[in-house]
Amino acid sequence: MKKKILLVEDERPLCLLYEEELSREGYEITAVTNAEAALAALRTTIFDLIVTDIRMPGKNGIELITEIMGLRKDIPIIINSAFQSYKEDFMTWAADAYVVKSSSLDELKAKIKSLIGE
Amino acid sequence: MIEKYNILSPDFERDAPRELTLLSIISQSFFQPFSLEDNLLVILTALTSGSGVGFNRAMLFLKRGDLLKGEMWLGPRSAEEAGLIWEVLSTPGIGYVEIVEHNRALVNKNADTLSARLKGLVYAANNESAHIPAYAASHKEILHVRDAANELLVDRRFLNIIGVDEFLCVPLLARDDIVGEIILDNAITRTPISPSDIKLAGICGLMAGNYIHSATLHRRVIDMEKMAAMGEMAMFVTHQLRNPVVAIGGFTDQLLKPDVTEEKRSRNLTIIRDEIQRLENIIYQMGHFLKVSMKEPVFFDPGPVIASVLESPQIQARARDFVMSARVEPCPPEILCDPTSFGEVLRNLLDNAFDATPAGGTISVRGFLRKPGEFVLSVRDTGRGMTNPDKEQIFKAFFTTKETGMGLGLPFIKRVMDNCGGKIEVQSRVGRGTVFKLTFNSRERESTP
Repeated sequence: MKKKILLVEDERPLCLLYEEELSREGYEITAVTNAEAALAALRTTIFDLIVTDIRMPGKNGIELITEIMGLRKDIPIIINSAFQSYKEDFMTWAADAYVVKSSSLDELKAKIKSLIGE
Repeated sequence: MIEKYNILSPDFERDAPRELTLLSIISQSFFQPFSLEDNLLVILTALTSGSGVGFNRAMLFLKRGDLLKGEMWLGPRSAEEAGLIWEVLSTPGIGYVEIVEHNRALVNKNADTLSARLKGLVYAANNESAHIPAYAASHKEILHVRDAANELLVDRRFLNIIGVDEFLCVPLLARDDIVGEIILDNAITRTPISPSDIKLAGICGLMAGNYIHSATLHRRVIDMEKMAAMGEMAMFVTHQLRNPVVAIGGFTDQLLKPDVTEEKRSRNLTIIRDEIQRLENIIYQMGHFLKVSMKEPVFFDPGPVIASVLESPQIQARARDFVMSARVEPCPPEILCDPTSFGEVLRNLLDNAFDATPAGGTISVRGFLRKPGEFVLSVRDTGRGMTNPDKEQIFKAFFTTKETGMGLGLPFIKRVMDNCGGKIEVQSRVGRGTVFKLTFNSRERESTP
């Protein structure tokens, strides 16, 4: 069965890019553009992994992670952000990995693979 | 009975004690928007002017790192020059601002003579076995030197430059640190230095030391604030640029793969073009924000400017989705602002209102005289509103609650309002809407004949 990934990304072009590229790797992607939609999806579906942006309108990625911790502690979370300078802090936010957004998705794909396999 | 006195310019009689005049000159200068160098010049002026301590010449060393370096030397080069200077300085009614200007010119004029000779003098600041003058700073003691030629502790090079047998070294202390040293002499009049001269010079030294210390701290704080703002800006710009760049790169990579359908090719190219436009827009906005310089505010009639913004094609196009209401006093007073910036301010406020309000919402523009001399321009929307924490941040550059905003619109408005002495008020409730009220200084229209 395909591994399910919840993708939270407010930038629509990027959301589309990640959705297509990660689907191509064989994952089933649910893409949402804000934290509220992510929490709603988490209530109805069991995901194997979450990839989230930090800076989003409404609740930001860090607030989202805090709420996810209250719902389900065991889901691995990858922060995928355009902020390079937050990279050192991701452990304190209870994320499992931090990827700085790049046009090459290799690092993101590799982190996903190491956390949940193919 | 109550009597009032001006704090900044106490009016002393000409025969007031010189201590009082001296303290007055120095303390007033610290209130002026003078540079550190100018204020140091004031201190040297106070030490050398006839109404101050009355030394002939004052030499300043400042501590830079671990070194004590000669910086400035104020005083006449000859008896003739002294006569001229003292004549100028004893002109009735001359204020310390004029004296400082006069002395600044003198220091500049002497740059190639007195000050130039001084600039080459550098001593280790904390060397206890240093010769005079550095000895005074390293031992934190005022030294009154007489018969300098026969005093082994005096540095020979220094003696050659100063060329007098009697002088006073006053270290400038700030808390426990040395920040510099002043050397005073009476090279022209040859008047012996008296104990009361020494006491007064000591007080000046303490004031100068503490002034240098606090000015340096202040400068450092400003630098740190600038660095922090720069860091914040760099971080935000990186973030704003990275998203479109990642999209352009990612969709281009897809195009380079062999299995691209015609439909996907066309879609990707459209996305790439849009993202490049976005990048251009970011670069334009950044450039605009950084380069906009504020023009002098003038009094003008705001009516035509408000009308032209409201009727502009861009605003009209966006206004179609909303219920618009504009009510501006038919004959408003003249307001104080730069007219072009005023138009941009209104345009920015309307853009924010459009962005924050769902289609069908109401946007109202009002212009009215709140009370004589205060004209208010307000823009109200029935949009999503702001939380209190957001409200506190909206005037900070690069703060935005919008998906694609740069966070430069409201900081721009604040700059305009600060520049024309106006006020901004914001009221907002989440889910109910926001109102921005700008208050401008106004005056009655000049009646047309």
